[in-house]
Amino acid sequence: MKVTIQKWIGVASWKWQVNDDNCGICRMPFDSCCPECKLPGDDCTIVWGECSHCFHVHCILKWLQSQNYQDQTCPMCRQSWKFKTH
Amino acid sequence: MASNQASVKSTKLSVKNFKPKVRLPDAGKEEWWNQLREAVRAIHNRCPISYNREDLHKAVGHMCTHSLSPRLYNELKIQCEEYTKASLHQLIDDFMDEMAYLIKLNSLWKDHCNQMIMIRGIYLTLDRTYVMQNPLVLSLWDMGLELFRKFIVSEQTVEKKTIDGLLSLISRERNGETINKSLIKSLLRMLSELQMYQYHFENKFLQVTESLYATEGQNFSQSLEIPDYLSFVDKRIKEESERCLHYLEHSTKKPLLTSVEKQLIEYRKEMIINKGKTELLDTNRLDKLKLMYSLLARVNGGLDELCKRFSLYIQERGTSMVMDTERDKTMVTELLDFKSKLDSVIELSFDHNPKFINTEKDSFETFINRRTNKPAELIAKYIDMKLRAGNKEATDEELDKILDKIMVMFRFIQGKDVFEAFYKKDLAKRLLVGRSASVDAEMSMLLKLKQECGAGFTSKLEGMFKDIEHSKELMPHYKQYLNNQKIGHNLDMTVNVLMTSNWPTYHPMDVILPEYMISYQKHFQQFYLSKHSGRKLQWISTLGHCVVAANFPLGKKDIVVSLLQTLVLLQFNKEDEISFLDLKQRTGIDDADMRRTLQSLACGKVRVLHKKPKGKEVEDNDVFAYVSDFKHKQFHIKINQVQMKETLEENINTTERVFQDRQYQIDAAIVRIMKTRKTLSHALLVTAVYEQLKFPIKPSDLKKRIESLIERDYMERDEDDAYQYHYVA
Ligand SMILES: [Zn+2]
Ligand SMILES: [Zn+2]
Ligand SMILES: [Zn+2]
Repeated sequence: MKVTIQKWIGVASWKWQVNDDNCGICRMPFDSCCPECKLPGDDCTIVWGECSHCFHVHCILKWLQSQNYQDQTCPMCRQSWKFKTH
Repeated sequence: MASNQASVKSTKLSVKNFKPKVRLPDAGKEEWWNQLREAVRAIHNRCPISYNREDLHKAVGHMCTHSLSPRLYNELKIQCEEYTKASLHQLIDDFMDEMAYLIKLNSLWKDHCNQMIMIRGIYLTLDRTYVMQNPLVLSLWDMGLELFRKFIVSEQTVEKKTIDGLLSLISRERNGETINKSLIKSLLRMLSELQMYQYHFENKFLQVTESLYATEGQNFSQSLEIPDYLSFVDKRIKEESERCLHYLEHSTKKPLLTSVEKQLIEYRKEMIINKGKTELLDTNRLDKLKLMYSLLARVNGGLDELCKRFSLYIQERGTSMVMDTERDKTMVTELLDFKSKLDSVIELSFDHNPKFINTEKDSFETFINRRTNKPAELIAKYIDMKLRAGNKEATDEELDKILDKIMVMFRFIQGKDVFEAFYKKDLAKRLLVGRSASVDAEMSMLLKLKQECGAGFTSKLEGMFKDIEHSKELMPHYKQYLNNQKIGHNLDMTVNVLMTSNWPTYHPMDVILPEYMISYQKHFQQFYLSKHSGRKLQWISTLGHCVVAANFPLGKKDIVVSLLQTLVLLQFNKEDEISFLDLKQRTGIDDADMRRTLQSLACGKVRVLHKKPKGKEVEDNDVFAYVSDFKHKQFHIKINQVQMKETLEENINTTERVFQDRQYQIDAAIVRIMKTRKTLSHALLVTAVYEQLKFPIKPSDLKKRIESLIERDYMERDEDDAYQYHYVA
């Protein structure tokens, strides 16, 4: 007998690669979305700062908007906030 | 009629004697008295009156204007009294049987009426002047009645014979004989005219009725089967109503029917319901149930009692459906059938009574929750069965109706989290391994759950659909990405990427894949993470499946197999015979999954492997070989059904996870409550927790959670009062 795979329908699951379970701004778990959103995941992603703290994208954007434009800092460590590009 | 004719005659006569000379000589007076007396005598004797009626009228009129009225009235009265006495005397002594007696009495009464009408015709002026002016004087008609009545009342035998005769006639009719209804009607009218109906007849009639039906109720409710008893009661009530229509006075109807209903229904209602309801409901005799309902509706508390028993019946039957573990396989179908049967009983037999509708609902809720968790699990599985591809028994519309019905059951369930866990597990398999019967049906079910339990309940389920959608959108990009890579193999790889928190938890298994599969996985991983930074991927080998081309000596086949099945089959590319233990080692599949996989390949409907020795269970020392003479009439073969089946571990894990989740929820609720209230007694805390949580909790479990939170320093016991807690900030 000779068996050859023609089609493979694989299944994988993903998780955020985070150190904390919860968003430091809204306190919701990263597995859920921010308070403004309905579904977690692609609709409410997580972003990292250079300082390596991470938040719901909607949470950090809101936070930055409330900050002085020149002086935008991470709400956790107060270092100046820069989005981390992987 | 008679008086009418008389007046017509007198008009004619007055035309003949047009313009008579008005002369009233005194000498004529005595003659008038005689003429009037003669006329009345002629009427009494049913002879023609030999005087001109016009003259008689005139005589009466003249006497009335000459204040002779009292004498005229009295003389007439005396004459009538003498006649009545003599005439009614026939009723005494005369040896008549009951029937002849009643007929005689009736004819005497009829004569009396006719005669009084004729007499009144002549004495009209007396009635219109003297009687009108003297309130204490009876009208001529009433005076006649009074004379008649006085005789009957004073002669006890007459009265007794009359009433007894009437009652005996009615009793004969009740026994099924045909009687002379117009006779009885006429005599009862007579009694009523004589003011004797109520006191002399009705009271006694009602007494007789009551004792008759007391006996019948006592005897027949025991000797007859309940359905027959109900028909009997119905017949009796109809007969009595007709009796009222045919000859009884209107006033008798209410007390008569009340008495019948009391004796035949109200006093026997427990008996009727207890003996009848189980059999009638079990055999679904809608007509008899309707009769039972309508009869009980007639009496005080009848429907309350029926409703109470209805509830007990539902709970009794329902509990046995739910508690009997042997019937688990058919539980949901049985519940649905039971519900729709009861629905039609309420609709067709119980007049759509809202009270019964609510009782049905409450009773279902009570019995279905007598068994914790299992009904919820089975309802979820029932829905899975209906939503799976290959379920061709229903169109989308029919399917939607079935789903609506099952939602009714779902509403009764208290532990909806158990439902959700099983529903989710099955949905995952429908989405990933099998196919759904219809996307519309899936969406419609999701919407129903959302409407019932809110968006929070379905958000993860919706997330599952989203994941599948996103994965589909991702695939063309992945294919493009692959085109730019240089991979030796040509494998069509599709991946469903799931957001872990949306899906059931799957235990990771590191299976040993062939090199080229690993490289495909790596490529996908690279591609995916380049699109979605900050995530980590984990492969779920138990959910993957493949289409493989298998070259059997007798022909080529396309087979749909699970990933685990694929890995096993690939081993036989190099060797013809491999032992169980070797297969396990070479594929990295864990023990239980390995046994299941081999079973599905070697012991199922379609067998591509031989098991040596033969047998249903896979043993450690078994050896497997591919089936060299494999034949199948189809080219495409599907043998990965094993993936759709629920394993025992899966079942236990699903339930276990619900319980764990409940513990978190209890903890969270306690902390939330303590945080706002700061200090609370045990009793108040427990009440507050029960109010917040939607699943059943045992008090002992709740105590354990409180202990655990105290241990973990979320709260503390009061130093003096062990049943008082303080929040620890
Ligand atoms: Zn957030
Ligand atoms: Zn958001
Ligand atoms: Zn930071």
